[in-house]
Amino acid sequence: MINLLAYLLITIALIFMALGVIGLFRFKDFYSRILISAKIETVGFLTIMIGFIILSGLSYATMKIILITTMVMITNPLSTHAIARSAFLSGYPINQETQP
Amino acid sequence: MTFLEITLFVISIYITLVLVRVIIGPTIWDRLLGLNAISAKIIMSIVIFSIITEQSYLLDVALVYALLGFIGTVLIARFIEKKGDIS
Repeated sequence: MINLLAYLLITIALIFMALGVIGLFRFKDFYSRILISAKIETVGFLTIMIGFIILSGLSYATMKIILITTMVMITNPLSTHAIARSAFLSGYPINQETQP
Repeated sequence: MTFLEITLFVISIYITLVLVRVIIGPTIWDRLLGLNAISAKIIMSIVIFSIITEQSYLLDVALVYALLGFIGTVLIARFIEKKGDIS
């Protein structure tokens, strides 16, 4: 029963990541793509790691998975922000069709 | 074929699709974005492989990969800042 919950969470995370990969090809503007990548990757990573934590039970390895999850949750938005800042300061043009 | 092996297979397909974005990306920032996405997916793959084979020392590899991927992305992003079009 508890494994079924973990499988459900992992399936939801796979659907999230599929949406992220589709959005990476669907949008024509760089800033739209980086928005999709920053949100969807972090949410998919968090969901799939919670599934693995439930699946592997309470053990020594679970603490390491929690540590990896916390670290990626902090560093993944930071690195995406660094890429967006670098592109904006270097004068990457904003697509005029998608500009509000 | 168990559920976790199917998950590993699906994540491999996602890595291949993002690799297409890295190859056809118009500028270097698109390629850097693809590198960041591939890095997160490889960490998931290492964790799945560690759970399948029940070898918990592989999680240390995933931890080091997360740290080095973050440092590499930030370092490249700061290096190419205000340097013009070098794609």
